[in-house]
Amino acid sequence: MRPFQPLLILDLLPELLPYLSVSLEVVIGTIFFGAILGIILTYMKINGSYGQSHIAHLYTYIARCTPSIVLLFIVFYGLPKIILELFSYNINNLNKIFFVIATFSLLYAASVSEVMRAAYYAVDRGQYESAVSAGLTPFQALYRIVAPQAMVVALPNFSNSVINLLKEGSLAYTIGLVDLLGKGNLIIAHNYGSFVVEVYLAMAIIYWSVTIVLEKFFFHLEDYLLNRKKIRTV
Amino acid sequence: MLKITNIHKKFNNDEVLKGIDVTVEQGDVVVILGRSGSGKTTLLRCINFLEKADRGYMEFAGYSIDFSNVAHSQINAIRKKTAFVFQNYNLFNNKNVLENVTEGLIIGRGMEKKQAIEIAKKALDKVGLSDRYDYYPSQLSGGQQQRVGIARAIAVSPEVILLDEPTSALDPELVGEVLTVLKRLAKEGMTMVVVTHEMQFAKEVASHVIFMEGGVIVEEGTPKDIFSNPKEERTRKFLQRILPEAEYII
Amino acid sequence: MELDYQFLIKTFFLILKGIPTTLKITAISLVLASPLAFGMALAKIYDIKYLKKIVVVYVSFMRGTPIVLQILVVYSLLPSLLNVIVKQLGLKIDVFAFNPIMYAYIIFTLSSAAILSEVFRAALLGVKHGQLEAGLSIGMSHVQTYIRIIIPQALVIALPSLCNATVNLIKNTSLAFIMSVQDITAIGKIQASYGYNYIESYADVFVVYIVVCTLIQLLFNIAEKYCGTFRQRLKT
Repeated sequence: MRPFQPLLILDLLPELLPYLSVSLEVVIGTIFFGAILGIILTYMKINGSYGQSHIAHLYTYIARCTPSIVLLFIVFYGLPKIILELFSYNINNLNKIFFVIATFSLLYAASVSEVMRAAYYAVDRGQYESAVSAGLTPFQALYRIVAPQAMVVALPNFSNSVINLLKEGSLAYTIGLVDLLGKGNLIIAHNYGSFVVEVYLAMAIIYWSVTIVLEKFFFHLEDYLLNRKKIRTV
Repeated sequence: MLKITNIHKKFNNDEVLKGIDVTVEQGDVVVILGRSGSGKTTLLRCINFLEKADRGYMEFAGYSIDFSNVAHSQINAIRKKTAFVFQNYNLFNNKNVLENVTEGLIIGRGMEKKQAIEIAKKALDKVGLSDRYDYYPSQLSGGQQQRVGIARAIAVSPEVILLDEPTSALDPELVGEVLTVLKRLAKEGMTMVVVTHEMQFAKEVASHVIFMEGGVIVEEGTPKDIFSNPKEERTRKFLQRILPEAEYII
Repeated sequence: MELDYQFLIKTFFLILKGIPTTLKITAISLVLASPLAFGMALAKIYDIKYLKKIVVVYVSFMRGTPIVLQILVVYSLLPSLLNVIVKQLGLKIDVFAFNPIMYAYIIFTLSSAAILSEVFRAALLGVKHGQLEAGLSIGMSHVQTYIRIIIPQALVIALPSLCNATVNLIKNTSLAFIMSVQDITAIGKIQASYGYNYIESYADVFVVYIVVCTLIQLLFNIAEKYCGTFRQRLKT
């Protein structure tokens, strides 16, 4: 067996790190589109009619049961066909990242809508009531009083979902997107299958570090937001 | 200036308000008494549409409202002319004391920030909290929080203040400070509708007492009428339970 | 859109054959991971010096790296590693003839142990401390109190999170196809490549996973009712 060369990892890091930006692009794109869809879903669940709420819940349920890679393949092979049928527009040559973001946005919307829903119910109804009693419109009450408090409640779950997104997004390499994992596999292929250990370890180190940084960031963010309302014994 | 006619409200199949008429004149302090479940809180909450009454009419501040057919614009307009003080204070947790009071002025009524802060500070001074402007609700005692709630209510210069058991959630020692503020407000001529168990307060300050049970008004009148000369058997029974024997006679 | 409906139906039943494999991986991983996870949870709760540090690092690593990466690492390295060991020991085993499902068991056990350790830790912490004190005060040992009092209560608390973890595990096993394990996704992929009927095939896979997840959730619902009988209030 080929001897293990730990120093190679140091050489590999600068080759791999630029592609971390692709992975992060996937995460940011997904959060953006997923949050929009998620807000719509949450609205349907909380404030929607009987039918709307059921559709939203059904969507969430199905998304929860769907493995990301299966949905990725369905979107990758299926979406071009659908769009071809409906709009006669060929998107097969579109950058792969489009399919990745589309897939994970669909899944992320479901989980983020559940996080938002739980956070909304966690805020006491009295906050909303006193806001409208003071003359705010329902929208103003939600926006200025309920939502800020809900976001603090949602933060731990939200940070979990972002970290999970980063890890799940790595599946993008299976449809050929050259993100961090994709580049790693390319390096291995270019070297005829050698240096597998070193490359995988390098990637693991990168993912692990980014995860830890994200965890610390959200932890301090939570701390900062809660600090302003620290309970003092009067 | 506030007149409610034949108001009805059902929760599922439970009729909680069975056709009630209430008239409030300017400067009145109307106290509503009754057991829990008598409908008194629901009545109050229907006035500013925190609950939606099934049918009935309301005349207030130049508006004629049909409860079965209210427009959103009417609801918003009425809410801008009333103020509500909650049993659990419901101060905005994410805003400090001053912001809690100015929120209704700046956002609810589009007032300029400077003017709003001036009015808010006057209101807070009135309730005795001028040294706590930048505290957050979680840093205040219950009595202090409720006083902020009252300041929040008077700052918007409402035509009537609705108070839902303002002292029920307070520790006994803190009840007094809130009642003092309310008594002062009443003396200054603020129109109030108060749901409460504080009989002494009712005796001292109320212009009009309503006793409700089972969704209807059983008896109403001046404090003297109700407390020393209750006509209805049910009123007597209720008072016996609430008041110690000796206080029965005014 | 033209779908090959014949293919759709035929493939569906072929894919169903992958369910036992998927369930095997899930079940065995959970069973093997549980004692590990329980030990790790205890290590964290009771703050056992060096053990806790190892556990913290292990859990952080397993939860901080993508499962795909973990699969690739194990699948590329473990066979060669085992080969070296086997040769050193002079045993005549052909490591490369191992059923790849073995590697699936290993990787999903290791991964689940990390996740379950957090589930168990939260559940154990959710049982009031007074329960342990009461058990000790009537003469039961730590172990007895744990087995008879604390774990049953912790189990009920853990069930919703366990259901979640199990569903996630089933979804993660969809990646086992990388290791040539013939699970639901693998069969779907193979069938798709015969005639390029990707959409039909993966649509079938999609439906099968929904069915499996629904059944699992039903099972957990029943389990929750059964285990939680002590929590029911009197019916007035």
